[in-house]
Amino acid sequence: MRSYWSQVWPPLVAVVLVLGGWQLAVSLFHIEAWILPGPAAIAREAAGNSSGLREHTAATLRLTLIGFPIGTGVGLIVALLLHLLPGLKRAVYPLLILSQNIPTIALGPLLIIWFGFGLLPKIVLITLVCFFPVAVAAMGGLAQTDRVMLNYMKMAGASKWQIFSKLELPGSLPSLFSGVRISATYAVMGAVVAEWIGSDKGIGYYMLLQKAAYRTDRVFVAIVIVVLLSLTLFAVIALLERWLVRWKPGKPT
Amino acid sequence: MTQFTDALTSASKTGAFPDAQEKPFLSGAAEPRNPQTLPPALEVKGVSKSFTRRRRTTPVLDGVNLTVGRGEFVSLVGPSGCGKSTLFHIIGGLTLPDKGSICMNGKEVTGQRGEISYMPQQPALFPWRTIEDNVLLAGEIRGLPRAGARETARRWLQRIGLGGFEQAYPHMLSGGMQQRAAFLRALLAPQELMLLDEPFSALDALTRGEMQRWLLELWEENRRSVLFITHSIEEALLLSSRIYVFSGRPGSVLHTVDVPFPRPRRDEITDDPEFLRLRRRLTDWMREEQAKSRK
Repeated sequence: MRSYWSQVWPPLVAVVLVLGGWQLAVSLFHIEAWILPGPAAIAREAAGNSSGLREHTAATLRLTLIGFPIGTGVGLIVALLLHLLPGLKRAVYPLLILSQNIPTIALGPLLIIWFGFGLLPKIVLITLVCFFPVAVAAMGGLAQTDRVMLNYMKMAGASKWQIFSKLELPGSLPSLFSGVRISATYAVMGAVVAEWIGSDKGIGYYMLLQKAAYRTDRVFVAIVIVVLLSLTLFAVIALLERWLVRWKPGKPT
Repeated sequence: MTQFTDALTSASKTGAFPDAQEKPFLSGAAEPRNPQTLPPALEVKGVSKSFTRRRRTTPVLDGVNLTVGRGEFVSLVGPSGCGKSTLFHIIGGLTLPDKGSICMNGKEVTGQRGEISYMPQQPALFPWRTIEDNVLLAGEIRGLPRAGARETARRWLQRIGLGGFEQAYPHMLSGGMQQRAAFLRALLAPQELMLLDEPFSALDALTRGEMQRWLLELWEENRRSVLFITHSIEEALLLSSRIYVFSGRPGSVLHTVDVPFPRPRRDEITDDPEFLRLRRRLTDWMREEQAKSRK
Protein backbone atom coordinates (compact mmCIF):
# COMPACT_ATOMS: atom_id res chain seq x y z
CA MET A 1 0.00 0.00 0.00
CA ARG A 2 2.82 2.35 0.91
CA SER A 3 4.54 1.89 -2.47
CA TYR A 4 1.18 2.55 -4.10
CA TRP A 5 0.92 5.90 -2.32
CA SER A 6 4.46 6.85 -3.19
CA GLN A 7 3.42 6.34 -6.82
CA VAL A 8 0.21 8.30 -6.55
CA TRP A 9 0.96 11.36 -4.46
CA PRO A 10 3.41 13.23 -6.75
CA PRO A 11 0.95 13.62 -9.64
CA LEU A 12 -1.86 14.39 -7.16
CA VAL A 13 0.15 17.20 -5.60
CA ALA A 14 0.95 18.53 -9.07
CA VAL A 15 -2.73 18.61 -10.04
CA VAL A 16 -3.72 20.34 -6.81
CA LEU A 17 -0.97 22.95 -7.29
CA VAL A 18 -2.04 23.69 -10.86
CA LEU A 19 -5.71 24.05 -9.86
CA GLY A 20 -4.76 26.25 -6.89
CA GLY A 21 -2.57 28.47 -9.05
CA TRP A 22 -5.30 28.74 -11.64
CA GLN A 23 -7.91 29.74 -9.06
CA LEU A 24 -5.52 32.24 -7.49
CA ALA A 25 -4.64 33.81 -10.85
CA VAL A 26 -8.29 34.15 -11.83
CA SER A 27 -9.21 36.01 -8.61
CA LEU A 28 -5.99 38.04 -8.40
CA PHE A 29 -6.11 39.39 -11.95
CA HIS A 30 -9.92 39.70 -12.08
CA ILE A 31 -10.25 37.64 -15.23
CA GLU A 32 -13.75 37.71 -16.70
CA ALA A 33 -15.61 34.45 -16.31
CA TRP A 34 -16.44 34.25 -20.06
CA ILE A 35 -12.73 34.32 -20.85
CA LEU A 36 -11.45 31.96 -18.17
CA PRO A 37 -13.54 30.76 -15.25
CA GLY A 38 -11.79 29.43 -12.14
CA PRO A 39 -11.92 25.76 -11.16
CA ALA A 40 -14.37 26.52 -8.35
CA ALA A 41 -16.83 28.13 -10.77
CA ILE A 42 -16.50 25.18 -13.14
CA ALA A 43 -17.16 22.72 -10.34
CA ARG A 44 -20.19 24.72 -9.21
CA GLU A 45 -21.57 24.75 -12.74
CA ALA A 46 -21.03 21.01 -13.10
CA ALA A 47 -22.80 20.27 -9.81
CA GLY A 48 -25.71 22.61 -10.59
CA ASN A 49 -26.40 21.05 -14.00
CA SER A 50 -25.68 17.44 -13.22
CA SER A 51 -28.92 15.86 -14.49
CA GLY A 52 -28.63 17.38 -17.98
CA LEU A 53 -24.95 16.53 -18.11
CA ARG A 54 -25.58 12.95 -17.15
CA GLU A 55 -27.75 12.47 -20.22
CA HIS A 56 -25.13 13.93 -22.54
CA THR A 57 -22.38 11.92 -20.88
CA ALA A 58 -24.37 8.72 -21.23
CA ALA A 59 -24.85 9.40 -24.94
CA THR A 60 -21.14 9.95 -25.50
CA LEU A 61 -20.23 6.95 -23.40
CA ARG A 62 -22.60 4.78 -25.38
CA LEU A 63 -21.15 5.96 -28.67
CA THR A 64 -17.63 5.32 -27.39
CA LEU A 65 -18.45 1.86 -26.10
CA ILE A 66 -19.94 0.88 -29.45
CA GLY A 67 -17.24 2.48 -31.58
CA PHE A 68 -14.16 1.48 -29.62
CA PRO A 69 -14.62 -2.31 -29.74
CA ILE A 70 -15.54 -2.12 -33.42
CA GLY A 71 -12.50 0.04 -34.17
CA THR A 72 -10.20 -2.23 -32.18
CA GLY A 73 -11.69 -5.30 -33.83
CA VAL A 74 -11.24 -3.85 -37.31
CA GLY A 75 -7.65 -2.96 -36.41
CA LEU A 76 -6.99 -6.51 -35.26
CA ILE A 77 -8.53 -8.05 -38.36
CA VAL A 78 -6.55 -5.74 -40.63
CA ALA A 79 -3.36 -6.66 -38.78
CA LEU A 80 -4.03 -10.40 -39.00
CA LEU A 81 -4.92 -10.23 -42.68
CA LEU A 82 -1.85 -8.21 -43.57
CA HIS A 83 0.33 -10.46 -41.42
CA LEU A 84 -0.89 -13.58 -43.18
CA LEU A 85 -0.62 -11.99 -46.64
CA PRO A 86 2.71 -10.15 -46.81
CA GLY A 87 2.10 -9.22 -50.45
CA LEU A 88 -1.11 -7.43 -49.51
CA LYS A 89 0.72 -5.73 -46.66
CA ARG A 90 3.23 -4.15 -49.00
CA ALA A 91 0.41 -2.94 -51.25
CA VAL A 92 -1.94 -1.61 -48.60
CA TYR A 93 0.38 -0.23 -45.93
CA PRO A 94 0.93 3.17 -47.61
CA LEU A 95 -2.84 3.51 -48.02
CA LEU A 96 -3.30 2.86 -44.31
CA ILE A 97 -0.87 5.64 -43.45
CA LEU A 98 -2.59 7.91 -45.94
CA SER A 99 -5.93 7.24 -44.25
CA GLN A 100 -4.52 8.70 -41.06
CA ASN A 101 -3.54 11.95 -42.74
CA ILE A 102 -7.11 12.83 -43.72
CA PRO A 103 -8.38 15.31 -41.13
CA THR A 104 -11.29 13.83 -39.20
CA ILE A 105 -13.12 17.16 -39.30
CA ALA A 106 -13.05 17.13 -43.10
CA LEU A 107 -14.16 13.53 -43.27
CA GLY A 108 -17.14 13.97 -40.92
CA PRO A 109 -19.41 15.94 -43.28
CA LEU A 110 -18.64 13.50 -46.09
CA LEU A 111 -19.63 10.58 -43.90
CA ILE A 112 -22.91 12.29 -43.16
CA ILE A 113 -23.55 12.79 -46.86
CA TRP A 114 -22.89 9.09 -47.46
CA PHE A 115 -24.47 7.51 -44.39
CA GLY A 116 -27.05 10.01 -43.13
CA PHE A 117 -27.41 11.37 -39.60
CA GLY A 118 -27.81 8.12 -37.69
CA LEU A 119 -25.41 6.06 -35.68
CA LEU A 120 -23.55 4.61 -38.66
CA PRO A 121 -21.43 7.63 -39.75
CA LYS A 122 -20.38 8.19 -36.16
CA ILE A 123 -19.28 4.60 -35.71
CA VAL A 124 -17.41 4.76 -39.01
CA LEU A 125 -15.62 7.88 -37.81
CA ILE A 126 -14.60 6.36 -34.48
CA THR A 127 -13.48 3.20 -36.26
CA LEU A 128 -11.32 5.20 -38.63
CA VAL A 129 -9.68 6.93 -35.68
CA CYS A 130 -9.27 3.78 -33.58
CA PHE A 131 -8.19 1.03 -35.92
CA PHE A 132 -4.85 2.44 -36.95
CA PRO A 133 -2.91 2.33 -33.66
CA VAL A 134 -4.21 -1.17 -33.01
CA ALA A 135 -3.36 -2.41 -36.50
CA VAL A 136 0.16 -0.98 -36.48
CA ALA A 137 0.92 -2.23 -32.97
CA ALA A 138 -0.47 -5.70 -33.66
CA MET A 139 1.45 -6.03 -36.91
CA GLY A 140 4.62 -4.97 -35.14
CA GLY A 141 4.03 -7.54 -32.42
CA LEU A 142 3.28 -10.33 -34.87
CA ALA A 143 6.39 -9.55 -36.90
CA GLN A 144 8.62 -9.71 -33.83
CA THR A 145 8.11 -13.39 -33.18
CA ASP A 146 11.12 -14.98 -31.50
CA ARG A 147 13.13 -16.93 -34.10
CA VAL A 148 14.30 -19.64 -31.73
CA MET A 149 10.77 -20.36 -30.52
CA LEU A 150 9.55 -20.34 -34.11
CA ASN A 151 12.22 -22.88 -35.03
CA TYR A 152 11.24 -24.98 -32.06
CA MET A 153 7.60 -24.97 -33.14
CA LYS A 154 8.50 -25.97 -36.69
CA MET A 155 10.82 -28.75 -35.56
CA ALA A 156 8.10 -30.05 -33.27
CA GLY A 157 5.81 -30.28 -36.28
CA ALA A 158 3.44 -27.45 -35.39
CA SER A 159 0.86 -26.48 -38.01
CA LYS A 160 0.51 -22.90 -39.25
CA TRP A 161 -2.50 -22.41 -37.03
CA GLN A 162 -0.67 -23.80 -33.99
CA ILE A 163 2.26 -21.49 -34.64
CA PHE A 164 -0.13 -18.58 -34.84
CA SER A 165 -2.30 -19.38 -31.85
CA LYS A 166 0.37 -20.71 -29.51
CA LEU A 167 3.30 -18.47 -30.43
CA GLU A 168 2.63 -15.44 -32.60
CA LEU A 169 -0.60 -14.22 -31.04
CA PRO A 170 0.37 -14.49 -27.37
CA GLY A 171 3.78 -13.07 -28.19
CA SER A 172 2.23 -10.01 -29.80
CA LEU A 173 -0.05 -9.17 -26.84
CA PRO A 174 2.25 -6.67 -25.08
CA SER A 175 2.76 -4.76 -28.31
CA LEU A 176 -0.94 -5.02 -29.19
CA PHE A 177 -1.95 -3.51 -25.88
CA SER A 178 0.22 -0.45 -26.36
CA GLY A 179 -1.89 0.19 -29.46
CA VAL A 180 -5.20 -0.53 -27.74
CA ARG A 181 -4.36 1.94 -24.96
CA ILE A 182 -3.77 4.68 -27.49
CA SER A 183 -6.95 3.96 -29.38
CA ALA A 184 -8.92 3.93 -26.11
CA THR A 185 -8.12 7.61 -25.67
CA TYR A 186 -8.70 8.29 -29.36
CA ALA A 187 -12.11 6.64 -29.14
CA VAL A 188 -13.52 9.24 -26.73
CA MET A 189 -12.14 12.06 -28.86
CA GLY A 190 -13.57 10.41 -31.95
CA ALA A 191 -16.98 10.23 -30.32
CA VAL A 192 -16.90 13.93 -29.40
CA VAL A 193 -15.90 14.93 -32.92
CA ALA A 194 -18.63 12.72 -34.33
CA GLU A 195 -21.14 14.53 -32.17
CA TRP A 196 -19.89 17.92 -33.34
CA ILE A 197 -20.64 16.97 -36.87
CA GLY A 198 -24.21 15.93 -36.49
CA SER A 199 -26.03 15.07 -33.32
CA ASP A 200 -28.64 16.35 -30.92
CA LYS A 201 -27.12 14.93 -27.78
CA GLY A 202 -23.77 14.02 -26.28
CA ILE A 203 -20.87 15.94 -24.80
CA GLY A 204 -19.69 17.08 -28.23
CA TYR A 205 -23.08 18.58 -29.01
CA TYR A 206 -23.23 20.18 -25.56
CA MET A 207 -19.80 21.70 -26.10
CA LEU A 208 -20.82 23.31 -29.40
CA LEU A 209 -23.98 24.70 -27.87
CA GLN A 210 -22.20 26.27 -24.90
CA LYS A 211 -19.41 27.65 -27.04
CA ALA A 212 -21.97 29.48 -29.15
CA ALA A 213 -23.45 30.97 -25.96
CA TYR A 214 -20.03 32.02 -24.62
CA ARG A 215 -20.57 29.79 -21.57
CA THR A 216 -16.87 29.15 -21.12
CA ASP A 217 -17.49 27.51 -17.75
CA ARG A 218 -19.71 24.91 -19.37
CA VAL A 219 -17.18 24.25 -22.13
CA PHE A 220 -14.71 23.50 -19.38
CA VAL A 221 -17.19 21.17 -17.71
CA ALA A 222 -17.43 19.30 -21.02
CA ILE A 223 -13.65 19.11 -21.26
CA VAL A 224 -13.40 17.69 -17.76
CA ILE A 225 -15.97 15.02 -18.61
CA VAL A 226 -14.13 14.05 -21.79
CA VAL A 227 -10.87 13.75 -19.85
CA LEU A 228 -12.51 11.63 -17.16
CA LEU A 229 -14.10 9.32 -19.73
CA SER A 230 -10.75 8.86 -21.49
CA LEU A 231 -8.95 8.16 -18.24
CA THR A 232 -11.52 5.59 -17.16
CA LEU A 233 -11.39 3.72 -20.43
CA PHE A 234 -7.59 3.85 -20.32
CA ALA A 235 -7.58 2.44 -16.79
CA VAL A 236 -9.90 -0.41 -17.74
CA ILE A 237 -7.62 -1.34 -20.64
CA ALA A 238 -4.56 -1.11 -18.41
CA LEU A 239 -6.18 -3.49 -15.91
CA LEU A 240 -7.10 -5.93 -18.66
CA GLU A 241 -3.53 -5.78 -19.93
CA ARG A 242 -2.14 -6.41 -16.48
CA TRP A 243 -4.20 -9.55 -16.26
CA LEU A 244 -3.53 -10.85 -19.78
CA VAL A 245 0.18 -10.03 -19.82
CA ARG A 246 0.82 -11.08 -16.22
CA TRP A 247 3.67 -13.33 -17.39
CA LYS A 248 5.86 -10.42 -18.39
CA PRO A 249 9.02 -9.97 -16.33
CA GLY A 250 8.90 -7.00 -14.02
CA LYS A 251 5.13 -7.03 -13.68
CA PRO A 252 3.80 -7.93 -10.25
CA THR A 253 1.51 -10.94 -10.45
CA MET B 1 3.10 -41.69 -23.42
CA THR B 2 3.02 -45.03 -21.67
CA GLN B 3 6.76 -45.35 -21.81
CA PHE B 4 7.19 -42.35 -19.53
CA THR B 5 4.61 -43.48 -17.09
CA ASP B 6 6.38 -46.83 -16.90
CA ALA B 7 9.69 -45.17 -16.17
CA LEU B 8 8.05 -42.97 -13.61
CA THR B 9 6.36 -45.66 -11.64
CA SER B 10 9.50 -47.73 -11.52
CA ALA B 11 11.54 -44.66 -10.65
CA SER B 12 9.24 -43.63 -7.84
CA LYS B 13 9.38 -47.14 -6.44
CA THR B 14 13.14 -47.31 -6.35
CA GLY B 15 13.88 -43.75 -5.25
CA ALA B 16 15.48 -40.73 -6.80
CA PHE B 17 18.32 -42.08 -8.93
CA PRO B 18 18.38 -45.84 -8.92
CA ASP B 19 21.18 -47.84 -10.46
CA ALA B 20 20.76 -47.41 -14.15
CA GLN B 21 21.94 -50.83 -15.23
CA GLU B 22 18.95 -52.56 -13.76
CA LYS B 23 16.53 -50.32 -15.55
CA PRO B 24 14.76 -51.51 -18.66
CA PHE B 25 15.35 -49.29 -21.65
CA LEU B 26 12.71 -46.66 -21.60
CA SER B 27 12.61 -46.23 -25.34
CA GLY B 28 11.99 -49.86 -26.07
CA ALA B 29 9.67 -50.75 -23.23
CA ALA B 30 6.84 -52.08 -25.40
CA GLU B 31 9.05 -53.51 -28.13
CA PRO B 32 11.52 -56.38 -28.48
CA ARG B 33 14.19 -56.26 -25.80
CA ASN B 34 17.25 -56.13 -27.93
CA PRO B 35 17.69 -52.66 -29.41
CA GLN B 36 20.39 -53.88 -31.82
CA THR B 37 17.86 -55.68 -33.99
CA LEU B 38 15.78 -52.54 -34.50
CA PRO B 39 16.54 -50.13 -37.34
CA PRO B 40 18.56 -47.14 -36.13
CA ALA B 41 16.68 -44.17 -34.70
CA LEU B 42 18.39 -41.88 -37.18
CA GLU B 43 20.42 -42.36 -40.33
CA VAL B 44 21.87 -39.42 -42.21
CA LYS B 45 22.85 -40.70 -45.62
CA GLY B 46 25.20 -38.69 -47.82
CA VAL B 47 23.67 -35.34 -47.06
CA SER B 48 25.08 -32.35 -48.94
CA LYS B 49 23.86 -28.80 -48.88
CA SER B 50 25.06 -25.51 -50.26
CA PHE B 51 23.59 -22.06 -50.09
CA THR B 52 23.61 -19.53 -52.88
CA ARG B 53 23.78 -15.88 -52.04
CA ARG B 54 24.43 -13.16 -54.60
CA ARG B 55 25.39 -15.76 -57.21
CA ARG B 56 28.08 -17.20 -54.94
CA THR B 57 27.58 -20.76 -53.90
CA THR B 58 28.90 -21.78 -50.51
CA PRO B 59 28.95 -25.49 -49.76
CA VAL B 60 27.96 -26.03 -46.14
CA LEU B 61 27.65 -29.79 -45.82
CA ASP B 62 29.48 -32.31 -47.96
CA GLY B 63 28.35 -35.91 -47.93
CA VAL B 64 27.57 -36.29 -44.26
CA ASN B 65 26.92 -39.84 -43.03
CA LEU B 66 26.00 -40.61 -39.49
CA THR B 67 23.88 -43.01 -37.48
CA VAL B 68 22.20 -42.88 -34.11
CA GLY B 69 21.18 -46.34 -32.95
CA ARG B 70 18.23 -47.00 -30.72
CA GLY B 71 19.00 -45.83 -27.20
CA GLU B 72 22.36 -44.44 -28.23
CA PHE B 73 23.88 -41.16 -27.10
CA VAL B 74 25.80 -39.75 -30.04
CA SER B 75 27.69 -36.47 -30.04
CA LEU B 76 28.79 -34.25 -32.84
CA VAL B 77 31.76 -31.94 -32.30
CA GLY B 78 33.33 -29.58 -34.79
CA PRO B 79 34.77 -26.13 -35.26
CA SER B 80 32.33 -23.23 -35.31
CA GLY B 81 30.68 -22.75 -38.67
CA CYS B 82 30.94 -26.41 -39.66
CA GLY B 83 27.29 -26.51 -40.66
CA LYS B 84 25.97 -28.21 -37.54
CA SER B 85 22.93 -25.99 -37.36
CA THR B 86 22.20 -26.60 -41.03
CA LEU B 87 22.41 -30.33 -40.40
CA PHE B 88 19.95 -29.98 -37.53
CA HIS B 89 17.59 -28.02 -39.73
CA ILE B 90 17.79 -30.74 -42.35
CA ILE B 91 17.15 -33.49 -39.80
CA GLY B 92 14.29 -31.45 -38.37
CA GLY B 93 12.78 -31.04 -41.81
CA LEU B 94 13.10 -27.25 -41.94
CA THR B 95 15.55 -27.35 -44.86
CA LEU B 96 15.79 -29.80 -47.73
CA PRO B 97 19.21 -31.29 -48.53
CA ASP B 98 20.59 -30.93 -52.07
CA LYS B 99 21.66 -34.56 -51.98
CA GLY B 100 21.14 -37.46 -49.61
CA SER B 101 18.35 -38.46 -47.28
CA ILE B 102 17.25 -38.71 -43.66
CA CYS B 103 15.84 -41.98 -42.33
CA MET B 104 14.31 -42.59 -38.94
CA ASN B 105 13.51 -46.07 -37.72
CA GLY B 106 14.10 -47.35 -41.22
CA LYS B 107 11.64 -44.96 -42.83
CA GLU B 108 12.64 -42.09 -45.06
CA VAL B 109 11.54 -38.78 -43.54
CA THR B 110 13.57 -36.24 -45.54
CA GLY B 111 11.85 -32.85 -45.26
CA GLN B 112 9.24 -34.06 -42.79
CA ARG B 113 8.71 -32.04 -39.65
CA GLY B 114 7.63 -33.19 -36.25
CA GLU B 115 9.68 -36.40 -36.25
CA ILE B 116 12.16 -35.30 -33.62
CA SER B 117 12.19 -33.83 -30.16
CA TYR B 118 14.29 -30.70 -30.18
CA MET B 119 16.08 -28.77 -27.49
CA PRO B 120 17.57 -25.51 -28.74
CA GLN B 121 20.63 -23.67 -27.50
CA GLN B 122 18.58 -21.13 -25.56
CA PRO B 123 15.87 -22.62 -23.37
CA ALA B 124 13.22 -20.95 -25.59
CA LEU B 125 10.53 -21.53 -23.02
CA PHE B 126 7.37 -19.63 -23.91
CA PRO B 127 7.23 -16.71 -21.45
CA TRP B 128 3.42 -16.68 -21.31
CA ARG B 129 3.18 -20.31 -20.32
CA THR B 130 3.78 -21.61 -16.85
CA ILE B 131 6.63 -24.10 -16.47
CA GLU B 132 4.13 -26.94 -16.41
CA ASP B 133 2.38 -25.77 -19.59
CA ASN B 134 5.75 -25.30 -21.29
CA VAL B 135 6.71 -28.86 -20.53
CA LEU B 136 3.42 -30.07 -21.99
CA LEU B 137 3.83 -28.10 -25.21
CA ALA B 138 5.42 -30.81 -27.36
CA GLY B 139 2.64 -33.31 -26.67
CA GLU B 140 0.06 -30.61 -27.21
CA ILE B 141 1.44 -29.85 -30.67
CA ARG B 142 1.14 -33.50 -31.64
CA GLY B 143 -2.43 -33.50 -30.41
CA LEU B 144 -1.91 -36.13 -27.71
CA PRO B 145 -4.60 -36.62 -25.10
CA ARG B 146 -4.12 -34.36 -22.12
CA ALA B 147 -5.40 -36.83 -19.59
CA GLY B 148 -2.50 -38.03 -17.52
CA ALA B 149 0.06 -35.86 -19.28
CA ARG B 150 -0.25 -33.12 -16.68
CA GLU B 151 0.10 -35.61 -13.90
CA THR B 152 3.24 -37.06 -15.52
CA ALA B 153 4.71 -33.60 -16.08
CA ARG B 154 4.17 -32.67 -12.43
CA ARG B 155 5.89 -35.79 -11.18
CA TRP B 156 8.82 -35.20 -13.50
CA LEU B 157 9.14 -31.57 -12.44
CA GLN B 158 9.22 -32.78 -8.87
CA ARG B 159 12.01 -35.21 -9.76
CA ILE B 160 14.24 -32.78 -11.58
CA GLY B 161 14.12 -30.33 -8.69
CA LEU B 162 11.50 -27.99 -10.10
CA GLY B 163 8.77 -29.01 -7.68
CA GLY B 164 6.92 -25.92 -6.49
CA PHE B 165 7.68 -24.10 -9.75
CA GLU B 166 4.90 -25.73 -11.78
CA GLN B 167 2.88 -22.53 -11.91
CA ALA B 168 5.85 -20.15 -12.15
CA TYR B 169 6.61 -18.26 -15.34
CA PRO B 170 9.99 -18.93 -16.98
CA HIS B 171 11.53 -15.53 -16.15
CA MET B 172 11.30 -16.35 -12.46
CA LEU B 173 13.74 -19.25 -12.88
CA SER B 174 17.54 -19.23 -13.10
CA GLY B 175 19.26 -20.13 -16.36
CA GLY B 176 20.06 -23.66 -15.19
CA MET B 177 16.50 -24.28 -14.06
CA GLN B 178 15.12 -22.99 -17.34
CA GLN B 179 17.44 -25.32 -19.20
CA ARG B 180 16.21 -28.23 -17.11
CA ALA B 181 12.62 -27.36 -17.92
CA ALA B 182 13.53 -27.13 -21.61
CA PHE B 183 15.17 -30.54 -21.38
CA LEU B 184 12.10 -32.00 -19.73
CA ARG B 185 9.97 -30.54 -22.51
CA ALA B 186 12.15 -32.44 -24.98
CA LEU B 187 12.14 -35.59 -22.86
CA LEU B 188 8.36 -35.68 -22.54
CA ALA B 189 7.88 -35.10 -26.25
CA PRO B 190 6.30 -38.08 -27.99
CA GLN B 191 9.13 -38.39 -30.54
CA GLU B 192 11.79 -40.98 -29.74
CA LEU B 193 14.86 -39.19 -31.07
CA MET B 194 16.12 -36.17 -29.16
CA LEU B 195 18.19 -33.47 -30.84
CA LEU B 196 20.11 -31.40 -28.32
CA ASP B 197 21.73 -28.34 -29.86
CA GLU B 198 24.53 -27.13 -27.57
CA PRO B 199 22.10 -27.06 -24.68
CA PHE B 200 24.59 -25.96 -22.05
CA SER B 201 26.68 -23.45 -23.98
CA ALA B 202 24.98 -20.43 -22.43
CA LEU B 203 25.52 -21.57 -18.83
CA ASP B 204 28.39 -20.68 -16.51
CA ALA B 205 31.05 -23.36 -15.95
CA LEU B 206 29.79 -24.50 -12.57
CA THR B 207 26.16 -24.84 -13.64
CA ARG B 208 27.31 -26.49 -16.82
CA GLY B 209 29.18 -29.23 -14.97
CA GLU B 210 26.19 -29.76 -12.75
CA MET B 211 23.87 -30.01 -15.74
CA GLN B 212 26.17 -32.51 -17.47
CA ARG B 213 26.10 -34.85 -14.50
CA TRP B 214 22.37 -34.37 -14.21
CA LEU B 215 21.82 -35.17 -17.89
CA LEU B 216 24.13 -38.18 -17.65
CA GLU B 217 22.20 -39.66 -14.75
CA LEU B 218 18.84 -38.98 -16.31
CA TRP B 219 19.85 -40.36 -19.68
CA GLU B 220 21.46 -43.52 -18.32
CA GLU B 221 18.16 -44.20 -16.70
CA ASN B 222 16.02 -43.51 -19.76
CA ARG B 223 18.22 -44.39 -22.74
CA ARG B 224 16.50 -42.29 -25.30
CA SER B 225 18.20 -41.95 -28.68
CA VAL B 226 20.10 -38.68 -28.56
CA LEU B 227 22.03 -36.61 -31.06
CA PHE B 228 23.98 -34.03 -29.11
CA ILE B 229 25.84 -31.06 -30.57
CA THR B 230 28.57 -29.50 -28.51
CA HIS B 231 31.76 -27.49 -28.70
CA SER B 232 33.13 -29.10 -25.58
CA ILE B 233 35.20 -32.23 -26.16
CA GLU B 234 35.10 -33.11 -22.50
CA GLU B 235 31.33 -32.90 -22.46
CA ALA B 236 31.11 -35.15 -25.51
CA LEU B 237 33.48 -37.75 -24.00
CA LEU B 238 31.68 -37.76 -20.68
CA LEU B 239 28.20 -38.21 -22.10
CA SER B 240 28.29 -40.09 -25.37
CA SER B 241 28.79 -43.58 -26.70
CA ARG B 242 30.05 -42.32 -30.04
CA ILE B 243 31.48 -39.02 -31.25
CA TYR B 244 31.50 -37.70 -34.78
CA VAL B 245 34.21 -35.13 -35.38
CA PHE B 246 33.28 -32.67 -38.08
CA SER B 247 35.61 -30.86 -40.43
CA GLY B 248 35.42 -27.12 -41.03
CA ARG B 249 33.22 -25.78 -43.79
CA PRO B 250 32.04 -27.59 -45.84
CA GLY B 251 31.21 -29.90 -42.96
CA SER B 252 31.71 -33.63 -43.27
CA VAL B 253 32.50 -36.42 -40.85
CA LEU B 254 36.26 -36.47 -40.34
CA HIS B 255 36.58 -39.08 -37.62
CA THR B 256 34.31 -41.40 -35.71
CA VAL B 257 35.32 -42.16 -32.14
CA ASP B 258 33.74 -44.91 -30.06
CA VAL B 259 33.91 -43.97 -26.39
CA PRO B 260 34.81 -47.10 -24.46
CA PHE B 261 33.82 -46.19 -20.90
CA PRO B 262 31.18 -48.40 -19.31
CA ARG B 263 27.95 -47.08 -17.90
CA PRO B 264 26.81 -45.86 -15.51
CA ARG B 265 29.60 -43.35 -15.78
CA ARG B 266 30.98 -41.44 -12.88
CA ASP B 267 32.57 -38.04 -12.90
CA GLU B 268 35.92 -39.67 -12.11
CA ILE B 269 36.33 -40.98 -15.64
CA THR B 270 37.60 -37.52 -16.57
CA ASP B 271 40.82 -38.48 -14.70
CA ASP B 272 41.14 -41.82 -16.50
CA PRO B 273 44.32 -42.01 -18.68
CA GLU B 274 42.22 -43.28 -21.57
CA PHE B 275 39.91 -40.29 -21.20
CA LEU B 276 42.88 -37.92 -21.24
CA ARG B 277 44.35 -39.64 -24.27
CA LEU B 278 41.10 -39.37 -26.21
CA ARG B 279 40.67 -35.78 -25.18
CA ARG B 280 44.19 -34.99 -26.40
CA ARG B 281 43.57 -36.61 -29.75
CA LEU B 282 40.20 -34.96 -30.31
CA THR B 283 41.57 -31.59 -29.28
CA ASP B 284 44.38 -31.93 -31.80
CA TRP B 285 41.94 -32.78 -34.58
CA MET B 286 39.76 -29.84 -33.70
CA ARG B 287 42.71 -27.47 -33.54
CA GLU B 288 43.85 -28.57 -36.97
CA GLU B 289 40.41 -27.99 -38.41
CA GLN B 290 40.05 -24.63 -36.74
CA ALA B 291 43.42 -23.58 -38.16
CA LYS B 292 42.41 -24.78 -41.63
CA SER B 293 39.13 -22.93 -41.59
CA ARG B 294 40.89 -19.73 -40.57
CA LYS B 295 43.01 -19.73 -43.71
